[in-house]
Amino acid sequence: MLSWLIWAPLAVGVIGMALPKRLAGLWAIAGTAFVLGMAISLVTGFDTAGGMQQTTDVTWIKGLGVDYSLGVDGLSVFLILLTALIWLPATAYAAFQGQDRPQLFFGMMLLSETATLGAFCAQDLLLFVLFFDLMLIPFYFLFGVWGKDIPGGVTARAATLKMLIYTLVGSLLMLVGAIATAILSAHGGDITFSMRELAAHPLGSGSQYWIFWFFAAAFLVKMPAFMLHGWMPDAYRIAPLPALAVFSAVLSKVGAYGFLRVVLPIFPDATVHFQEIVLVIALAGVLYGSIMAFTQTNLRLIAGYSSVAQLGFITLGILALRPDGANGALLQIGNHGLVVAPLILIIAVVAARTGTDDLREMGGLATRAPILAAVFLIVILANLAMPGSANFIGEFYILNGVFQAKIVYAIVASLGIALAAFYSLRMYQKVMHDRGPEGESRSREISYRESLAVVPLVLCIVGLALYPQLVLKKTDNSASSAVAATCLRGANGEISVANGYGCPGGLPTFGTAPPANPGLELPSAGLEPVK
Amino acid sequence: MSATTWGWLVILLPLLGSITIGLGFRALPERAAGLIGVGAVGLAFACSVAMLISLLGDPAESRHHASSLWDYANAGGLDIQLGIYVDPLSVFMALVVSGVSALIHIYSYSYMQSDRGYRRFFSFLNFFVFSMLLLVLAGNFVLLIVGWAFVGFTSYALISFWYRRETATKAGMKAFVINVVGDIGLVLAAFLIFRELGVFNYEEVFAAAPHHFTTNDGTIVAICCLLLIGAFAKSAQIPFHTWLPDAMEGPTPVSALIHAATMVTAGVYLIARAHPLFELAPTAADISAVVGAVTLIIAGTIAIVVTDLKRIIAYSTLSQVGYMIMGVSIGAYSAGMFHLMTHAFFKSLLFMAAGSIIAAMANEQNIDKISGFRRAMPFTGACLVIGSLALSGFPSTSGFFSKDEILSFATARGGWYTAFGVAGYVGALLTGIYSFRLVFRVLGGEPNDEAKELMDTGHVVHGEPRNPATGQAEDTEVGYPGAEHHIAEQAPGMKIAMGALAVLALFGGIVQIPGLDDLVTKFLEPTFADSVIVPADTTGHEWFGLAIGGVVAFAGIGIAYFLYIARPGTAPALEKRFQGIHDFLFHKWYFDEAIDFLIYRPTIAIGSFANRVFERIVVDGVVNGATDVVRSAGGVVKAAQSGFVRAYALLLFAGFAGLALYFLIVSS
Repeated sequence: MLSWLIWAPLAVGVIGMALPKRLAGLWAIAGTAFVLGMAISLVTGFDTAGGMQQTTDVTWIKGLGVDYSLGVDGLSVFLILLTALIWLPATAYAAFQGQDRPQLFFGMMLLSETATLGAFCAQDLLLFVLFFDLMLIPFYFLFGVWGKDIPGGVTARAATLKMLIYTLVGSLLMLVGAIATAILSAHGGDITFSMRELAAHPLGSGSQYWIFWFFAAAFLVKMPAFMLHGWMPDAYRIAPLPALAVFSAVLSKVGAYGFLRVVLPIFPDATVHFQEIVLVIALAGVLYGSIMAFTQTNLRLIAGYSSVAQLGFITLGILALRPDGANGALLQIGNHGLVVAPLILIIAVVAARTGTDDLREMGGLATRAPILAAVFLIVILANLAMPGSANFIGEFYILNGVFQAKIVYAIVASLGIALAAFYSLRMYQKVMHDRGPEGESRSREISYRESLAVVPLVLCIVGLALYPQLVLKKTDNSASSAVAATCLRGANGEISVANGYGCPGGLPTFGTAPPANPGLELPSAGLEPVK
Repeated sequence: MSATTWGWLVILLPLLGSITIGLGFRALPERAAGLIGVGAVGLAFACSVAMLISLLGDPAESRHHASSLWDYANAGGLDIQLGIYVDPLSVFMALVVSGVSALIHIYSYSYMQSDRGYRRFFSFLNFFVFSMLLLVLAGNFVLLIVGWAFVGFTSYALISFWYRRETATKAGMKAFVINVVGDIGLVLAAFLIFRELGVFNYEEVFAAAPHHFTTNDGTIVAICCLLLIGAFAKSAQIPFHTWLPDAMEGPTPVSALIHAATMVTAGVYLIARAHPLFELAPTAADISAVVGAVTLIIAGTIAIVVTDLKRIIAYSTLSQVGYMIMGVSIGAYSAGMFHLMTHAFFKSLLFMAAGSIIAAMANEQNIDKISGFRRAMPFTGACLVIGSLALSGFPSTSGFFSKDEILSFATARGGWYTAFGVAGYVGALLTGIYSFRLVFRVLGGEPNDEAKELMDTGHVVHGEPRNPATGQAEDTEVGYPGAEHHIAEQAPGMKIAMGALAVLALFGGIVQIPGLDDLVTKFLEPTFADSVIVPADTTGHEWFGLAIGGVVAFAGIGIAYFLYIARPGTAPALEKRFQGIHDFLFHKWYFDEAIDFLIYRPTIAIGSFANRVFERIVVDGVVNGATDVVRSAGGVVKAAQSGFVRAYALLLFAGFAGLALYFLIVSS
């Protein structure tokens, strides 16, 4: 089942290469719709009780201990759905828009879907790394070939190269880290890359400490986190918008997912040890991203910096190392994907009408396009985590986790909420309200085809706002056990330096070593009132 | 049906109305949209009455019911239900909110008729009523925050309803951002409550708090102070008040509904709702009372000098909400809630009358240009006088009973609480002056051109609408009052709503005459039964207070009469004599300027610094350097000279800085 899901997009893409130009887009839409169908059936068939499901385990490279090992649990189930859900409208929008060399464009889009789904399903560390690196290749072409040079500014090629260098450095570090982890934990015996095995027999803390940063670097660049976001502005400026929609909505989340899937379970001591450093980076991302977002006038960059801020929130939630923080982070990963994809598609719609993506040259669009304005408003409200949206619940869980773990970070991070309100609303007002410069009569309503791509996503936002529990009840077990690994380490006393860090009051302490598969055996860690 | 079922209906009806109008905005005729809006809120009021009846059927000690529709978010140890809580306090609020909303909807049905954004208006207005009812009926702190933020959003959407006016969109943004700051206060309070008690439900929180906290425990004081940030931001108390006067950019029914009668009183409701917490934190309650008292006086002083018709009433709202905040903070819960109710009546009446006059003036709001409307608009004028009488606490009007009940509670509680009573009477004097300054200047004096034309021809003047602040021509295409304006004298809908409110403003006080019926107090008793603040019998104090209040009201009105009717030259002379004070008041104590200087400018400065300097170093320095290396493999020498060396030095520097930061964190 999972293999079908992963490889179907690639197969569709390869067949699509042979089709005539006219059909390439429609064929790709059909393919992504099919994948979405599979993903939905995967979610509906998911057993809330937790644990790894739909597992496939085939020995791949025997001598190296690499398995073709797939599976889905509460951490990945909604990410798979999100991937399938975002790729369809983005592909549809791209098809409606019309592309040069469509066969190749959609082939790349579908290849990237395969890579992303693979990264979410992989349960073997090396397989994960390979899928993670595979994601990069199609986007290199999508951005480099179909990107637009900025007149008088950066060229698409230069921007793409910059992105490539950044992520490649991260990826290579991660590859080294993965190999080192497997070799070191084998202790001269049989090498295995199985994440479950690696988590069950963690490395000594000394090794964890340096390998931790190899993985963290890869994930933080992908997000991108503060100080590692240098590739982001140029890439966002030149990228073709449908590709940017999936890139921003899903690929950036693989980094956050990597923390939960790989870093926390396999390097628990290091996570506990470096918790505060990563929290600082995340917090800086929240504040810096927000402040940048409200000084930018380019819509794409506002979306980009706003993503930096949102990914900062998500990282905060994960590194709170508490079940509520992790649940919030997982929910927020989905929420942000659901928000940023329509946001970028709407930017595309707006740019198609005004011929610019600069705020200063816009205004008053709502007069002619009330439906577009309404749709945009819903997206904006979700983006600023308006209470009542699922984004609010995500942020609430995240900040509650951080608040209980490290109160100062939560209080400072809450500034990010106010800033988000300001920059989001500013973006909306400058586009839709007030008065634009000359020629605003060119604006017209969102077209039927465009709304086919955007409106379903907006309906998902609304639906999830009414019932965020839909996601939470399925993530709860896995999220709790992912953070429980770090807690058990800390409380165990096995690694002395970890004592006193992390695992703040409230979580029950477990006296024994972590079970082989924490997901199956740990109850959802309920919080008892302290007194 | 049970009280909670009625409660859910109360919430859902306006939401349904809003969605229907919103989705059908192309298909529905305008009148139908208006009727759906009015009908939905009217039905919500009917359901509120049903909820009241159902609740009264229970014995007093079991008049509280919780109900949950579904698990809203229940994971990781947090349990958040989509639940409501029905008790006398929430029913009282629901009645006031849905009742006044229904009347304002009827008013809007006529008033907004020539506005091109008619359907959008009713969709938002219904959504506001839904949000406000959600706020008052919510059963836990998280859902409270949801309602809290929803009303903030609709307030934004309706302030910037005429979204082609730059003043309106700016004002909307200001309101929204200040309100988000308040939301954050509530969110942090919820986290702290959860840390201490592990729950969000009202019932569980309030039951557990007295066993968990000792009085004036640091944590409970912190919780209450955070709640107060939310309350002050929403109720426009100093220093979070600056958004409210600007909010007058919105259409007048919005000012009446959101920025006078309902939303701005949410802070009062919050303090009353969370009174078990505030009684455990007397320090926080005292802070709140002081802020209320300060606000009521400062706002009163500003209201005396501003010249914008609606902004005078807005400052008066600040001041009156200050009374309520002060009241519920010192323990006068039912008095505070009673004042909330009567204020909703007379303040929305005042706004409606003002709207009628503004329509006759073709959207001119400067009272320097308005005069002599007493004969041109007799009905509107009468309503303006009734509203002002009630506002100044003229004996036997509703405001007379409610305001003085708060003040006599303060004096009865004794000690330093007496000071609050005194502050209240000072404020009452100011109220009398500014409200009758408004009345005398608008109705008295020589009829101006608009008033004359209305008297002579019966037609309302229609000017080319221009924004007085910017001089920009208004865009009537997307919803600014079109060529036709509607005044109460000619529109039955407006007349009905204003008439009903005039009756309530005049006679609403009879439900709570000290020592005679005390209906409000008796009804709310079950909610506040656990209160530990029980002053001695206040009836004697109340009658004494009423006597003082009456005298003060007469004095205030008398001074206004002296200044603006008997000796019309006195006011300008005084302004000249005390130029400094006048300027200070006229600039509203320079709060806007201070906030701009202390918060807005620094943030923008940081942003543009980051943009100009930081991004340039990170992006252009390090990375372009690195890209250069790769790209120009041939031109190694050149790269080594410029980009690479610079990048390397920077990396080295960043590395050291990072290490230093790391050791700082680890060692602390």
